[in-house]
Amino acid sequence: MNQGNAPQTTNQSSNLVDVLETVLDKGVVIAGDIRVGIADVELLSIKIRLIVASVDKAKEIGMDWWETDPFLNSQAAIQEQDKLKEENQQLQKRLEKLEGKLAGNGR
Amino acid sequence: MNLPKAKGEESTMEKLIYLYGIIPSAATSQPLPRLKGLDGESDLFSLSFDEIDAVVCELDPEAYGEKELEKKTNDAKWLHKYAFHHHEVLMKLYENYPIIPMKFCTIYTSYESLKSTIDQHKQHMMELLENIADKEEWILKIYCEADKVKERVAGYNETVESKKEEIAAMSPGRQYLEKRKLDQLIDQEAEKEKQAFSEKIHEDLASLSIDTEVKKNWNKDVTGRSDEMCWNSVYLLEKSVVESFLSAIKKKQKEWEDAGWHMEVTGPWPSYHFAKIS
Repeated sequence: MNQGNAPQTTNQSSNLVDVLETVLDKGVVIAGDIRVGIADVELLSIKIRLIVASVDKAKEIGMDWWETDPFLNSQAAIQEQDKLKEENQQLQKRLEKLEGKLAGNGR
Repeated sequence: MNLPKAKGEESTMEKLIYLYGIIPSAATSQPLPRLKGLDGESDLFSLSFDEIDAVVCELDPEAYGEKELEKKTNDAKWLHKYAFHHHEVLMKLYENYPIIPMKFCTIYTSYESLKSTIDQHKQHMMELLENIADKEEWILKIYCEADKVKERVAGYNETVESKKEEIAAMSPGRQYLEKRKLDQLIDQEAEKEKQAFSEKIHEDLASLSIDTEVKKNWNKDVTGRSDEMCWNSVYLLEKSVVESFLSAIKKKQKEWEDAGWHMEVTGPWPSYHFAKIS
């Protein structure tokens, strides 16, 4: 029924304003015990849009290197570690082989 | 139905309760979708208040007290992430139940406090739930290419036309001043044109709706678009009407696109605008 018009649950910037103005500004207000006055929905929306836009832009021009940089990204750090481990194991095996050969030759 | 881990007496006492929304109890014969709460650790669950259920999660009072929360909500990155969390949870719930959506960050310090608030509004909430069960909320935004509107106004507007003729008959010195005034006049007429165009569209759509609300237009800094938002409104529709509502908009989109008017519709939304409790 609602072909492609449904509010998407991703944070696309075209949908950003809709979500922010609705979630931050609207919704049923019944008194909670903890009140959160969001000071300036407009200003915060602008900031959020700029954050989203700068990430999108960075991806677009290939400036997303930090996603694969182990110092800045834990996922990348794990991958890096796995790679090192594997390399280490291979080296260990080669070393054992060489040592075995040497020992064989010595006798 | 998901039972709360504790009903007020024990450990819930110290935890804060974040309220997402209210659903009819009868609807929870269908179990809640498994979702994580705002802190990313606790699970969402429902608290039963006889005819209605509150969908909530628990939060650590130290991390989400009033002061901490104020700091958090003024941090754009935090707000972005968690406003969308709230939105996504409500969308998931809305797929399964009629729901009264709460405003972002509606938080109670105890079960008793939540209960007393709900008891106070229960009758009204039950009526609301019944009322919104077979309805949908849709948002329309109209954007315009301001240059095109201005050009058209400068070319075809009667007020502008007659002013131009007046100016042509003036001395060169007066002409300069009067031309600047004319520019202002064109701007004013263009604004009128945007308003009149949008109102006409709105009236057509309003005739299909049960209720409507006209909202604030956001500037380009907020929308990030190059065209200008000139209308922002929301419609409450009977489910049976949604299809004709959408096809009416599609028709208008095609009809006006070349003239620089762009209409964007989103929905269905949980009843953010028309479920009101006062």
